[in-house]
Amino acid sequence: MIRYILRRLVLMIPVALLVTIGVFVLVRISPGDPALVFAGEERDPAALAAIREQMGLDKPLPVQYVVWVTKLAQGDLGRSFQTHQRVLEAITERIPATAELGLAALLFSVSVALVVGIVSAIKRNSLVDLLSTSVTLAGVSFPSFFLGIVLILLFAYVIPGRIFPPGGYIPLTQDVGDNLRRLVLPAVTLATASLAVNLRQVRSSLLDVFGHEYMRTARAKGLRERTVITRHALKNALIPVVTLIGIQIGAIIEGAFITETIFFWPGIGRLAVTAIPSQDYPVVQGVVLVSAFSYMLTTLAVDVLYAWLDPRISYETATA
Amino acid sequence: MSGTTLPVALRLGRADRATAVRSFLRRNPRMIVGGALVLAWLFIFVFARAIAPYDPIKVDVANALLPPSSAHFLGTDDLGRDVFSRVLVGSQVSLRVGLISVAIGFLFGVSLGLAAGYLGGTFDLLAMRGVDALLAFPALVLAIAITAALGPKIENAMIAIGIVAIPAYARLTRGQVLAVRAREFIVAARTIGASPLRIILWHIFPNVVNSLIVQATLSTAFAILAEAALSFLGLGPQPPDPSWGQDINYSQRYLPNLKWWMSVGPGLAIFSAVFAFNFLGDALRDALDPRLRRSG
Repeated sequence: MIRYILRRLVLMIPVALLVTIGVFVLVRISPGDPALVFAGEERDPAALAAIREQMGLDKPLPVQYVVWVTKLAQGDLGRSFQTHQRVLEAITERIPATAELGLAALLFSVSVALVVGIVSAIKRNSLVDLLSTSVTLAGVSFPSFFLGIVLILLFAYVIPGRIFPPGGYIPLTQDVGDNLRRLVLPAVTLATASLAVNLRQVRSSLLDVFGHEYMRTARAKGLRERTVITRHALKNALIPVVTLIGIQIGAIIEGAFITETIFFWPGIGRLAVTAIPSQDYPVVQGVVLVSAFSYMLTTLAVDVLYAWLDPRISYETATA
Repeated sequence: MSGTTLPVALRLGRADRATAVRSFLRRNPRMIVGGALVLAWLFIFVFARAIAPYDPIKVDVANALLPPSSAHFLGTDDLGRDVFSRVLVGSQVSLRVGLISVAIGFLFGVSLGLAAGYLGGTFDLLAMRGVDALLAFPALVLAIAITAALGPKIENAMIAIGIVAIPAYARLTRGQVLAVRAREFIVAARTIGASPLRIILWHIFPNVVNSLIVQATLSTAFAILAEAALSFLGLGPQPPDPSWGQDINYSQRYLPNLKWWMSVGPGLAIFSAVFAFNFLGDALRDALDPRLRRSG
């Protein structure tokens, strides 16, 4: 297992390098002079030249990349053009809010998908099944920002008593109740698309498992239906679901950009979205890199978990 | 010779083809529903300006913020512009971005996948590492990063969504090519001296095209959703041009005043267009590509 993980990590190095090259190139092809954005009101040519030299913009591109990637390896993502705050610091300040929203969405998505998916598979072609299959197709087609707006409209303005606020964030450490009240709408918004995919996967892998002979054997042994489902069906059906949850983490990271914007949630997605119009490239670059690396590491973790859960997967052959 | 099977005509006549299509559609009724929905949206896409009852960008402050009525099916916005007309004309942006970006992803992704799968070796290794690098980004984050770098314009949104779509086509095509490459008819074509380009285009491509049609339909749905998301974040077409995502973003400021119709029109348009392509894609997958068929 250790060898498998190490090999996967080694395979990840060239991909990670390509990711850094991609992000570096994206920033360098951006319109506008970074020195001008950094300088703000300053327009003195000598001062601009000094800023360019200080930022390393006077050096050839490959040299700029090497300098940038070396700093990156040391955890230096540069400074924001707007606030002059260290980008890494700006990101780490906002990670708790994004992580809280992402975890809440994942928890909601997985728990609802498990309950409804199991009922839907056991009672195939029932009303619950029909509803859940319709909801899954609708869920993947429903734009999250529209869902967010519908939820805000309903729960913050139409239904009296303002059950859930339309946006904003109160840290968990400051007021648990208010934090959770503000968390509900963004978490549901963020979870919906992945809920639809998870629900479909739980249902179809359970239906797949139901057709296996060991299920018939379990029933023939006289086991209770509940035991057959929990001990035999779920244990096997949930293995592909684990992989899918890993893929959903990508959807949750990208969904955070939209959801945090709608609900004024001060996470890393909103940090990047507000940095775009002001051409604050180091911030955008930092958030994109952090998102990509978190996604890569999560995918690795899920693959390892998958290999551990399913002994049929050979550590020697399972590669990227 | 009695009892042996004689070769049948390989090309179907027009009447036979029509019968085959009818029988195919009868066996796959979901395709009729999905196809009708997609055709309806394509009709709106082509004739939007002719169907739209009002000029979508004409300001008419005297009629601002009117609720839905027989004169304005989806009401008017704060500048008195007809929401229904903006939704219809907005389809031209969303579907154009959807279709062109899918074409970009298809062209580059399929070419890369065909070349990598057929040539193998170092080219395959390098191409697939490039694809892995693209897959390392959550799709929408990459699209946001590319559009932010190139500048908020409709053409840049198309390029960004097209680039994001490349890995899916490349991987799918490469996998299919690897499965087909060792088959006898390819070996035979190589033996008679057919050039690699001819083998790829005439012998391999027709064998992988079914899966690609399914992927193209599903990725059109993703592209429409992605364009709407980029527009919502201000990275798509700029005002006053109508765009579904941007119009929803703009409508947010009127939520406390309960002017719900400004959001509902474009929101339902995105939903129904994405749903149409997803539904057709699912039906096509079941009909054309049994290997990808799901029990769900």
